[in-house]
Amino acid sequence: MTTATVDPQKAPSSEDRAALWLRLATIWHAFLVVAGLAGAFIVWQGADTAVWQKAVFGVLLLGLAGVSGTAVFHINQRRSRGRNLSLAVNYLGFLFALVGSMHQLNMFVGLDSLADTFARGLPFLALIFVGLWLGSQTERFEGDLIRQQQVRQVGRAIAILAGIIFLFAVGLLDGLATVPSALLEGWETAVFLSATVFFGLMVWGMWQQPVADIFRATNADSEMLNGYLFLSPNLLGFLIFFAGPLILSLYVSFTDSDAFSTPNFIGLENYAEIFNLDLEPLASADQLASEVLDVTQYDELNRFTIFGQSYIIGAQDRLFWTALGNTLQFVLLAVPLSVIPALFLANLLNSKVPGMRFFRAIYFLPSVAAVVGIALVWQWLYNATIGYINYGITLVIDLFNTIGLPLTDPQIRWLSEGNTALLAVIIMAAWQWIGFNTVLFLAGLQNIPRALYEAATVDGATPRQQFWKVTLPLLGPTTFFVVTTTVIQAMQVFEQVFIIMGTNPAGPSNSTLTIVLYLYQKGFQRFEQGYASAIAWVLFLLIFAATLVQFQRQRTSGSSYES
Amino acid sequence: MNLKRFWLFLIALLAMALLVACGGDAAEEPADEAADTADTTEAADTTEEVAEEPAAEEEMAEVQLRWRTRPDNQAEIDVYQSVSNDLDASLDNITLVYEPGGSESSSYQDVLKTELAAGTAPDVFWIPGTDIADFATRGLILDMRDLADATDSYSDADFYPGPMFHLTFNPETGNTGETLWGLPRDVSTFALYLNLDLLAESGAPDPRELAANGEWNWDSFIEVATAINALGDDIYGYGQNAWWGPYGYWINAAGGSFYNDDRTACGLDTAEALAGLEFEQRIYQEFNVAVPYGEDSEPPFLAGKVGMFQNGRWATPGARASANFNWDVVELPDGPAGPSNWLFWGAYVVNANTEHPEEAWALVQALTTADTQGKIAELGANVPSRVSQDALDAFLTFSPPANNQAFLNGLARNPATEGPLWAGSWPEFDAVMGPAVTAVLNGETSIDDFAATICNEANRTFNQ
Repeated sequence: MTTATVDPQKAPSSEDRAALWLRLATIWHAFLVVAGLAGAFIVWQGADTAVWQKAVFGVLLLGLAGVSGTAVFHINQRRSRGRNLSLAVNYLGFLFALVGSMHQLNMFVGLDSLADTFARGLPFLALIFVGLWLGSQTERFEGDLIRQQQVRQVGRAIAILAGIIFLFAVGLLDGLATVPSALLEGWETAVFLSATVFFGLMVWGMWQQPVADIFRATNADSEMLNGYLFLSPNLLGFLIFFAGPLILSLYVSFTDSDAFSTPNFIGLENYAEIFNLDLEPLASADQLASEVLDVTQYDELNRFTIFGQSYIIGAQDRLFWTALGNTLQFVLLAVPLSVIPALFLANLLNSKVPGMRFFRAIYFLPSVAAVVGIALVWQWLYNATIGYINYGITLVIDLFNTIGLPLTDPQIRWLSEGNTALLAVIIMAAWQWIGFNTVLFLAGLQNIPRALYEAATVDGATPRQQFWKVTLPLLGPTTFFVVTTTVIQAMQVFEQVFIIMGTNPAGPSNSTLTIVLYLYQKGFQRFEQGYASAIAWVLFLLIFAATLVQFQRQRTSGSSYES
Repeated sequence: MNLKRFWLFLIALLAMALLVACGGDAAEEPADEAADTADTTEAADTTEEVAEEPAAEEEMAEVQLRWRTRPDNQAEIDVYQSVSNDLDASLDNITLVYEPGGSESSSYQDVLKTELAAGTAPDVFWIPGTDIADFATRGLILDMRDLADATDSYSDADFYPGPMFHLTFNPETGNTGETLWGLPRDVSTFALYLNLDLLAESGAPDPRELAANGEWNWDSFIEVATAINALGDDIYGYGQNAWWGPYGYWINAAGGSFYNDDRTACGLDTAEALAGLEFEQRIYQEFNVAVPYGEDSEPPFLAGKVGMFQNGRWATPGARASANFNWDVVELPDGPAGPSNWLFWGAYVVNANTEHPEEAWALVQALTTADTQGKIAELGANVPSRVSQDALDAFLTFSPPANNQAFLNGLARNPATEGPLWAGSWPEFDAVMGPAVTAVLNGETSIDDFAATICNEANRTFNQ
């Protein structure tokens, strides 16, 4: 029988290290609880901090404290939930601290500067790849191990040397010199760097298998953590760059924010101004608005006669209603003009005729072209005095006049007259959108089983009957998608109007003022960002309602080849 | 090198590259600074000089200033870049970075204001005269009055009084001369760009001679425009672009104005303003001698299809580059209330949040010296804003047009100064006025309807 002896010099076992990590994690999370609570208190006391900032940072810090406290409890109970929570908090903390450190070290600004200096290092960067390539050429010396090793070493040396020279060439010394000075300038950089290290170490430690074993982590736990890890870039991007601003804009819509000063909470005032209307009866149809409306508050929006009585509608924000009307007109015309031709075009392009792929590409081109370029070209085409469209019309009119059919040249003022400006924009937008919709319809057409057409042919259906009875019903899901996305696109129309109308995007008599253009003018030209946010939410609700109706109709009709 | 080492190497390289980015600002330090420091060290031969070196180095610390204008074309960008390079060399301890602003798809002012809100705007920038009040009352630009008072060589009187009225206006007291929001970069007036070939073909009298004889008024203007317009269906006697400047001339020349006398309320419904607008409406609807209102008149003018094109000095480079016909300019015709014009201007202002106000003030002064303005005036696009014969002489040397004096005459003949609305919101006022005037000129609204409604709405854009 042998006696086990304890060797004081023996290296700690993996269990010992895991236990150490758990003790450290407990201390670390206890510290985070205190730091989170203290931070939330300090943020809430901040005199110059905006309310939304207090709310956001307060909730985040309280969340940090709460989750850390829960993690401590579960870690001590050796439950896997404790490890999972700890990993989540430390991972998010690591990312936050890393970004904060990069900001403190001016890296985001520096990356711009790096773009300027990067060219200096390009030859050495190329040399790195030369070295790597050289090092991989060992198979040329098959059987000669010494030569192989020499080639590998030379390649590695070249790559490393070139890498070092590259870094110096693009300004490594400046970067190195900046770090100590940034640390000396203020405590923030040191705090962020320390937090990055601590959070990072905690993630690394808690991820270790021995630690996982202590928590009796199952495969399901590992899969969940791996899943969230891979999902995190997208999830965080969604939360930070989409959901966050979305909620922020909702808050801003309840304020008088002008982007420059601290916003004040004003409740529903912005929404009230948008929807504030006044309906008054008129003594006669042509009575002056100033005689019946409070013109210090309302502008005339419209007047109508019903059952012999004339009425006038005044609006506090007439331009919003003008923009809404223009947008709806745009939707009502641009959607059919870009969907119906696309449907027939897709049917044409779906036929097996030589060269059809070329035409598919041609029709798709406007969809991939830049809106700015397209709008500028159309602006020239639409020019009433020297544009090609009017020139073409004049030629046709002259032709008719020559053959004895007298016609008057209309000399259409496409972009300078209130009656035609919106139509001109609609034509251009529909022309641009047709190509993309055609591709979608083509994909839908190619998903319809050929057997259905064969059966219809056997039953004696003509091509026209096949189109109406087979193609159109079975294209229901595609049509739904095309119509829904085109409606959404049309309700958000901006670039086309903004560019083609030149210095006056709202057009003659505000005839091309759309909701998003008005939102832009309010938010980024007059800097009434609270009001602009309210308009954005009204537009969101309109689009949401329109989409909901289409979903409802789709469910009711429910046409698809699976059903 | 196996795959693991390769990745480690690559990650290390990326990490180091990120570290390089930390030194971004330092990497941009100008070479001049190193030279200056070297010179200082070499010069410090004596003990005393060595002792003073730290203070000297502090004084010599190089300051980087970003500045921005809104150039109209590449030629202007090149000239401003050249000016920036020259000033960079002449201004002690200041390094300049010039940023041309504006593009086809973004408004200069919108981008600028967004940058101001984000805290990334340049130290010194140009803005149009109409925007001064908005920027000043929002606290976005620096009041440089104290800096100006401490500068012996500076005087408000060196610049045209019209712009300086607004640039020294104190919105809190309502008095002028109490602040200094900036210095004017340049001024400009309207003129009529003449297609001399069409004019000769029509047989109409030469407007330049009519102006010289004091006979250039609205009647003779219509006579000339009608004669040119009669040359063909695609030929137009007159053309203007659809913004407040061109129609503002017709209102001003009839004795009207956009505002009342103290610019605190709408003045568009006065008899004089309505008379001016009615005459302009007749140009489009009755005489029918103009490029349809709202159409850009510059392309047809450059294509040789417009006899008289009303525009500012900024249109000269385009005419020089693209007009394949004989052309010149003439001052605007006298209206019922006498001669009139606009005095357009824009100003260099200083970002309220600049870290270097003294250096920014030095740059603003340097950008508005007679020498600098002369260099820019040689390009032909701008009239110097400084009342300086040297700068004006430099402007007059630029031809064509032969009759450069027409622009300077505009300055002398009762111009209305483009100005901000200290008592209201100019963008809001313009958003109300523009569509209403367009409807009148397009014949969609009568003058009476316009008169009955315009000021109800426009007055709401003034501070209540």
